[in-house]
Amino acid sequence: MKLRLLLTLSACLALFAAAVLVGQSLSGPQGAFIVWQLRLPRVLVGALVGATLALVGAVFQALFQNPLATSDTVGTTAGATVGALAALAFDGSRTVQGLPLVTVCAFIGALGASSLVASFASSRRAHSSDVLLAGIAVTLATSAFASGIQYVSDSRALFAATQWALGQLPQVGYRGVLLLLPVCALSSMALLLLTRHLQAFALGEELAHSQGVNVPRLRLLALGLGSLGVAACVAWCGPIAFVGLIVPHLVRLLLGPSYRVLLPMSLVVGAAFLVSCDLFARLVVPGRDLPVGIVTAALGAPALVALVARTRR
Amino acid sequence: MAELEFLTLSVKIGERVLLERVTLRVERGDFVALIGPNGAGKTTLLKAALGLRTPTSGSVQLSGQRLSALDARSRAAEIAWLPQHIRADEPLTGLETVAAARFRFRESHAQSQQAAARALARVGASDYAARRVTELSGGERQRVAFACLVAQDAKTLLFDEPANHLDPAQQLEVYRLLAQLWREGRTIVCINHDVNLLNHLGNAERVRVVGLSAGQIAFELPLSDDALPEQLGALFGVEMDALRIGTAQRFIVPRARSQS
Repeated sequence: MKLRLLLTLSACLALFAAAVLVGQSLSGPQGAFIVWQLRLPRVLVGALVGATLALVGAVFQALFQNPLATSDTVGTTAGATVGALAALAFDGSRTVQGLPLVTVCAFIGALGASSLVASFASSRRAHSSDVLLAGIAVTLATSAFASGIQYVSDSRALFAATQWALGQLPQVGYRGVLLLLPVCALSSMALLLLTRHLQAFALGEELAHSQGVNVPRLRLLALGLGSLGVAACVAWCGPIAFVGLIVPHLVRLLLGPSYRVLLPMSLVVGAAFLVSCDLFARLVVPGRDLPVGIVTAALGAPALVALVARTRR
Repeated sequence: MAELEFLTLSVKIGERVLLERVTLRVERGDFVALIGPNGAGKTTLLKAALGLRTPTSGSVQLSGQRLSALDARSRAAEIAWLPQHIRADEPLTGLETVAAARFRFRESHAQSQQAAARALARVGASDYAARRVTELSGGERQRVAFACLVAQDAKTLLFDEPANHLDPAQQLEVYRLLAQLWREGRTIVCINHDVNLLNHLGNAERVRVVGLSAGQIAFELPLSDDALPEQLGALFGVEMDALRIGTAQRFIVPRARSQS
């Protein structure tokens, strides 16, 4: 177990290093610029986003006792999309306090949709399955709203919306790192403090209740904290599919299901997963950056099927 | 002071009445066997005691405090529960599952694990410590849940048909554990379909049998009472016979309907 943990950690470290170092030759001042101002901040943002999405996925799966639950299922991503589309339809180039309007609106949309679901989740009568259903309902309603915005948008805004919806980590400089770090760190650290609560969910939420877990409060906390982190990530990078779904299952297969390992290691493996997907996106078509969302989805979907097949055997 | 008290408790879902003005006092060290036909409200009564069902009217009190006024951890120190069906979706090991049941204690992970190992040993389930609960059979999983209950270390213990789906040897083992916990001074409320299993507890005159029918208390008698067979017969709508084996044990069995 210790050995596996060490191997996983070193593999992740190697992937981070590769993401910074692999590519065209890095001599001279131009090389230094590429490493320090382009690649490193992009890797750091990728690591923050991947870690947050993966941890939140693991937490939501525990919370809803459903292996398919992620931040996409509770309306966060759909809310961000509506916000972003509205901003793009209005004026994609506008900024608020130096931040792109798209980012600000996506953040507000994500938090708005999640708080709808969270307010439902904090009701004492609601069961986890009801909350998941509410999440799916909010997601569907919000997506319909997004389609409505697209219908009335002009072609330039539509193109920008499509680009945004693919999910990307294009970074120059450290602005994204500085913006995301405090939010992601707060959300992740606070979620890790809920490990014991979530472990008590192992035999169902009624038993967790009888063992002393305040179930509605736990739901509200986990949903609120998780959505906060994800909202920041989605607002900055667009929706990046499958990280929250794949990584927790991958960690379970590698290191077992104990939440004391699963939650912190989802952070590490999630970071390495997204960074290496982005490395792949950077290298696969020479001279062009693919949006990383395409890679995570293209790798993620078959990986998920393979994982499920393996666990069933 | 009663350890657990239901005060004119009613639970309704829409028009459907699950419990109707139930009043029941359970004193410290009592053994209450709840018995009644399917749908009589037995499980609802236990869930109301845990705060999993909100009363429509009336209230539940634990050690003199209103249940709704207790925070979750204090409630878990008062009352614990072994449900009839135990879902296990997370492939955690038995030891981790039982350690998680120590949630109400503010203690280190190592301390939780030690307590969990003791609880597993106590219910004879040490073999399941390293196995995944998702891979255990129903009976084995129930044993792990029993260890969770022991590890939670509450004053009042609620059991929902703990001998259901178990083979006779396991049934005896469950009742041996129940008797042991009772002798230690725990208060126990146990839903039970088969009164004869209660004989394994000993102290028949101190076991309170409470009959529940259509959400109301139909009768309350000591297990040793001579009127019990007749009352049980009325409760289930069948005739009951009492058979004695030796002088100590009495078995209550439904009379076979004559075939004509």
